[in-house]
Amino acid sequence: MTALIRASNVQKSFGPLHVLKGIDLEIARGEVLAIIGPSGSGKSTFLRCMNFLEEYDHGEIWLGDELVGYRQKPNGTRVKQKPEHIAKIRARMGMVFQNFNLFPHMSVLDNVIEGPTIVQRRPRDEAVAQAKVLLDRVGLSSKIDVYPETLSGGQQQRAAIARALAMNPEVMLFDEPTSALDPELVGEVLDVMRALAAEGMTMVVVTHEMGFARDVADRVMMMDNGNRIEIDTPQKIFTAPSHPRTAEFLQRVLR
Amino acid sequence: MDYTWHFQVVWDYRAVFVRGAIMTAQITFWATLIGLTLGMALGLMRRSQLRLLRLPAATFIELFRSTPALVQLVWIYYALPILTGLQMSNTVSVSIGLGLHAAAYFAEIFRAGVNSISKGQWDAARAIGMTYSQSMRRIILPQAVRRMIPPIINEFASLIKLTTLGSALAVYELLHEANNLINSTYRPLEIYTVLALAFAVLIYPIIYASQRLEQRWQIRQ
Repeated sequence: MTALIRASNVQKSFGPLHVLKGIDLEIARGEVLAIIGPSGSGKSTFLRCMNFLEEYDHGEIWLGDELVGYRQKPNGTRVKQKPEHIAKIRARMGMVFQNFNLFPHMSVLDNVIEGPTIVQRRPRDEAVAQAKVLLDRVGLSSKIDVYPETLSGGQQQRAAIARALAMNPEVMLFDEPTSALDPELVGEVLDVMRALAAEGMTMVVVTHEMGFARDVADRVMMMDNGNRIEIDTPQKIFTAPSHPRTAEFLQRVLR
Repeated sequence: MDYTWHFQVVWDYRAVFVRGAIMTAQITFWATLIGLTLGMALGLMRRSQLRLLRLPAATFIELFRSTPALVQLVWIYYALPILTGLQMSNTVSVSIGLGLHAAAYFAEIFRAGVNSISKGQWDAARAIGMTYSQSMRRIILPQAVRRMIPPIINEFASLIKLTTLGSALAVYELLHEANNLINSTYRPLEIYTVLALAFAVLIYPIIYASQRLEQRWQIRQ
């Protein structure tokens, strides 16, 4: 099976801070990858590089047969893609944020149809019909016309997942989707994600939810200090990590 | 203090006040229009990543914010024609001059409003494939405008007051009409008092509205 996402030697610096030191990764279609590691390890930055919300400085990230964010010139150098082109490739990936980032001036339904109608220019009726199906799937049928501020964190995050799904993305990127939630609301969001994984959606999930990583992910990638420490099946990572740094990290978080 | 007020004078010459008020309103209208349009463009330019856009905008804004409005008007009316041969009537000079002056302040209001929207909103807009202009139009501005309206109303109120600077260029706005009236009636106390009250009656509701809006929208956030 060919990889849907291929990253090679991805590097990124914020000024003098080298936050990604050369990440390699291949994600197959339908795969669920969990990225774990301590805060500051670069896992969110790496995820944000995948849809070019963060520009990487070196290396390559491919979505299918398209290089993300850059254009190779015949002489071997590369330049940043035109903004419209970057927008187009971003539209093929859904993203869910730690702080939900719903549009507060729009109803839940309008949040979900915004991308389909404005970016993809699909007919409104069709977008609304799809949005209703998606909102039903995330358990928000009764909240279609309310504004985000009236929703709980868990509901907001589920609406945000529906918003991302409405673009019919090829892959869903989750950036610590449950970290901002009250503990009792984490489960409802993970349930939605679990169902999504079961349907075969390709997912990359930066998470501190080790239970979710263990039960749902096909593979787990451990990152630390801008490096990929190891990547393996959850079974291997959680029972017999090959790297001491992973063992140490898991010991701290799984207590 | 045994001054006997004669407000009858003011009433007799009410037409003069109305005429002045119309001129004041006209100048305010054009200055606001110029100020908002140019201010929005300048505010956008100042946020640009391109130095070529950012630098001229910043220079304009800081220049107009750091010089007195009266000096700006006098310069546009007396100095600009000598340098460029472009002679505008006093009314046009005041309208444009105050428009440019207001633009500098509107630009800062605009910039602050846009900057006040969290980065996460940009992220979310871009993540669903929006371009910069789509994000700005659909996601950022609708939220930012609400935060910009109270300071814009305040700036509008101060713009009305600034129109009195037009008297320095002999524009027949309220203050200049009042001065002329005083020269012929010798009733400065009555006329200046009514003039001040007229401005207060006009402007206080505007300031009040702006404060109320600000409070109401703060609660909702």
